[in-house]
Amino acid sequence: MAENTGKSRKISLQKSAERLTEEIQSMANYKNLYTEIQKLVASTAVKREDFKNTLLEALKSNGLETEIRNTVFHWVRSQIFVTLSFNQMRFKGSLSAVSEASTEEVDLTYLKKAQIQWERRIQKSLNSTCNELNVPLARIRPNADREELAEKWNELSTYDIGDLNNDSLNKNSTKNLSQYRPLYAPKDFLDVLFSIRNPSFKKQPNELNWEFGHIQIRVKTLTQLRHLYVELAKGMSLLGVNPDMPSSENFTNLEEERIYIGEKVLKSNHAPIAQEFLKRGAPRALRGRLWSLVLGSTVKQNDLEYYEELKNMVLQYDIVIDKLIIKDVQLTARNDDQYFVFEDVLYKTMLCFSRDSEVLAPVTTDRSAGGQVIHAVLQGKPATLENTLVFPPSGVIPFHGFTMYATPFCYLYDDPCAMYYTFRAFYLRYWFRLHTVSSHEQGIVALCLLFERLLQCHEPLLWIHCRNIHIQPVKIVFKWIMRGFSGHLPPEQLLYLWDLILGYDSLEIIPLLAVTILSFRKENLMQAVLADLSSLKVVPLLQLALLRE
Amino acid sequence: MASGTVAENKRVTNLSVSNHINHSRKVLNIYRVSASGTDKTKVTFCTDVDKSVIVHNFEKRGWVQVGPEDDWNFYWAVTQSCRNIFSVETGYRMDDKQLINHFPNHYELTRKDLLVKNIKRYRKELEREGNPLAERGDGPGKYLYLDFIPVTFVLPADYNMFVEEYRKSPQSTWIMKPCGKSQGTGIFLINKLSKLKKWSREAKNPFNPNLTKESYVISRYIDNPLLIGGKKFDLRLYVLITSFRPLKAYLFKLGFCRFCTVKYDTSIQELDNMYAHLTNVSVQKHGEEYNSKHGGKLSVHNLRLYLESTRGKAVTEKLFANIIWCIIHSLKAVAPVMANDRHCFECYGYDIIIDNDLKPWLIEVSQFLNNLFSYLVETYIILLSTVYNFDQNTVVHSVKWNKCPPPEALGNFELLLDEELVAQEEKEYSSGKYRKNKCPLNKTSKGGSEDEACVEATGMVCFNHQGACTKSSK
Repeated sequence: MAENTGKSRKISLQKSAERLTEEIQSMANYKNLYTEIQKLVASTAVKREDFKNTLLEALKSNGLETEIRNTVFHWVRSQIFVTLSFNQMRFKGSLSAVSEASTEEVDLTYLKKAQIQWERRIQKSLNSTCNELNVPLARIRPNADREELAEKWNELSTYDIGDLNNDSLNKNSTKNLSQYRPLYAPKDFLDVLFSIRNPSFKKQPNELNWEFGHIQIRVKTLTQLRHLYVELAKGMSLLGVNPDMPSSENFTNLEEERIYIGEKVLKSNHAPIAQEFLKRGAPRALRGRLWSLVLGSTVKQNDLEYYEELKNMVLQYDIVIDKLIIKDVQLTARNDDQYFVFEDVLYKTMLCFSRDSEVLAPVTTDRSAGGQVIHAVLQGKPATLENTLVFPPSGVIPFHGFTMYATPFCYLYDDPCAMYYTFRAFYLRYWFRLHTVSSHEQGIVALCLLFERLLQCHEPLLWIHCRNIHIQPVKIVFKWIMRGFSGHLPPEQLLYLWDLILGYDSLEIIPLLAVTILSFRKENLMQAVLADLSSLKVVPLLQLALLRE
Repeated sequence: MASGTVAENKRVTNLSVSNHINHSRKVLNIYRVSASGTDKTKVTFCTDVDKSVIVHNFEKRGWVQVGPEDDWNFYWAVTQSCRNIFSVETGYRMDDKQLINHFPNHYELTRKDLLVKNIKRYRKELEREGNPLAERGDGPGKYLYLDFIPVTFVLPADYNMFVEEYRKSPQSTWIMKPCGKSQGTGIFLINKLSKLKKWSREAKNPFNPNLTKESYVISRYIDNPLLIGGKKFDLRLYVLITSFRPLKAYLFKLGFCRFCTVKYDTSIQELDNMYAHLTNVSVQKHGEEYNSKHGGKLSVHNLRLYLESTRGKAVTEKLFANIIWCIIHSLKAVAPVMANDRHCFECYGYDIIIDNDLKPWLIEVSQFLNNLFSYLVETYIILLSTVYNFDQNTVVHSVKWNKCPPPEALGNFELLLDEELVAQEEKEYSSGKYRKNKCPLNKTSKGGSEDEACVEATGMVCFNHQGACTKSSK
């Protein structure tokens, strides 16, 4: 019997290894890695007589082994369908652990349908914007405009959209930016979520129908959250509470200790260790590098080239999304006293993002996606395959506040390229689930549900108060959740929060914080006032919520 | 009858204070007698600055507004009225329970030419004493530790010295500023001597006699400022002084950076584009790109977050320590010439530019009159009330009080330097009574433990006694 399980385990291990070898070849840094290994093999460190051992030794000593390990780590994290064998291999990130639990037989296809409908609606609204303003979805960028854009690439705040009218052929085709409106705002998306109906759910005749309670996604209880966020729940000393806290070791204070350990972590270059380290908060000076390490978004030569390609794509094609992006940066970052200085870098980042076809596959094939894609034919060209492009190439249509997913990274990286890749990695791992309807445990529906359950269980008076005055509590916090609190918390507090997202590899901290804030500001809320969040300290609040039993 | 005289004279004094000096002295004397019947348990304030933020914040503390001839405790005055009060001719004598928001000769610090003069003198004196602080570095005129203002000359007086310096590096850009003006008025950049000559010819134009009287300072332009998002900025920090001898200085923690709205560009065509060069809000707000929602202001807290994240902790800490260094030494430079009236306190606006090597340069110090915003005024008043022991409802204050607020009263201010406390400590230390846990400078926000904070706060003064070691180590 035992022999049998051992055998089946061996087989599944072998299968996984085969799959890994196959898929690793299509990963972005495979080429680099392969060249490095070839170089190593050619060096004197590897002996022909004892090839295997000397190679392994050499891999270890020059750090390539760590690179390979990290690559496997990132591959495992990117797997959508987590196979049982990988769970056995103890590559159990919290994401995969939960997905196992939800494979129970519950029909959640209505969520998928809602997402498909939602995607179609956005696309329709995009098309009608184009019709209304009489602009094409996509076209080759006119020369004059291309030159202007190239020249002003580093200061796009001065790029004048009105100048597009220089182009005599399309005199009426481009309009002033003021005519563009964001396609939708968080409020509209919340209305979509509210209208979701579980077909098997029998509604009581006179019951208010505005909660997520009827959607059968399993969410954690506070006890389970305490189990997950054990470092917070145990009251371990964390950065973000008080950096001057005395250290347990021989350091002046906690901050010194964290810096010392953090530098060692970076030196080890192990992504999983960096992830673990983030659970207790990153020191400012190390955060950028730690995040890149965890997300595998450290910039390499081929990344620089790819970024340049994206820029060229922006210069080459003029798509209607560009105006929506510029409009969004203007509406958000430009007016924000925390982020206005980064306006120019944000234009670049968001424009390049829209052209990034590496975003398309993960975003459209994920089980939370509806998979609806628009194909646009370039204006004035025959509708052949080569004149058709996926629209936008990234498959992501921005909405009001979309830029806020990128703004906090401006504080971490001076280099626009480094900022771009970490933002992109963060988006692909977390943010896109916040504006799509899905049954995913990390999706916005599950997070709203978690918020409601926590509030109902732990702040029943507040819950009832909201019911009595006919205010859905989730309405108060929805924009916080949908933006991951970006733009709502001061940058430093936000970065501490995002440390925790990365460290525990879960977005559940966001609804938890939302509940905690409501609970903390209960008195104000009862009087229907909710002051701004600028004075809140994230980590102590979360600790407060998780500590008390 | 008395009240009738007062009303009449009040009108007169309000209309033309300076022309009725003799008259108003009489009035003041009369009124001080007549006001003695008012409620003495309330703190009274008086202001001739027409800003609701001031009145509002005083009233919030339960203080009562009175006129300048009444029995005020606290006068928030424009410089002109302050000058009148201190002028010999008015003979106004403040009693122990009166405070005013300017030092009589604050211009020693706030006038561009005088500040430069005072700093130059301070350096020379230290050098003469053989103080290690005044150690010279490579190159003529360079001080290792006291080189914190750009090379500056007063025109027309120092014209020849300027030309000599100019010839050493004819490529560099210089900035001209009228000595007595503020908010960026009359400022321009020059990169050719001929441009200066042309200006000087025009200024001496008999049709424009006003210009000839004015003196200018010309300073080497910091042409490699630290840029964020491609834009230049300067720091605006607020420093409160309650005494110059001994020096007692507090720094407002919520300072900010003021950003230009236009990308920084040193090309000659852009030399006249003041939107790229001057950070003054009064200049920037006329620009097309000015955003009134944030006014181009980023908090110093966020600047620090950005610098620590992108440049590292050690260099950022060094930068901020150097900023404090320049503030303290600018104050020490003017301290000997300041009329240290015990009724005076003053809050100054420090403008500092950080260059690309993260070295701070003191550009100028201004009076704290423009740019009033509520939270600053509020913490300012709270701190002052504690410094001078003003109670909310009863007058128990006195300027004879020792002016040492407890740490919890500091609010958003932090202690920069208190020479009196330092001297006390030194005494205790040398007499062997120094005990770790008896430190009055309980700055828990900075250092880990109390004694460490002490070292940090007193570092500046240790320096004076023990040589130039502290700066580099802290």
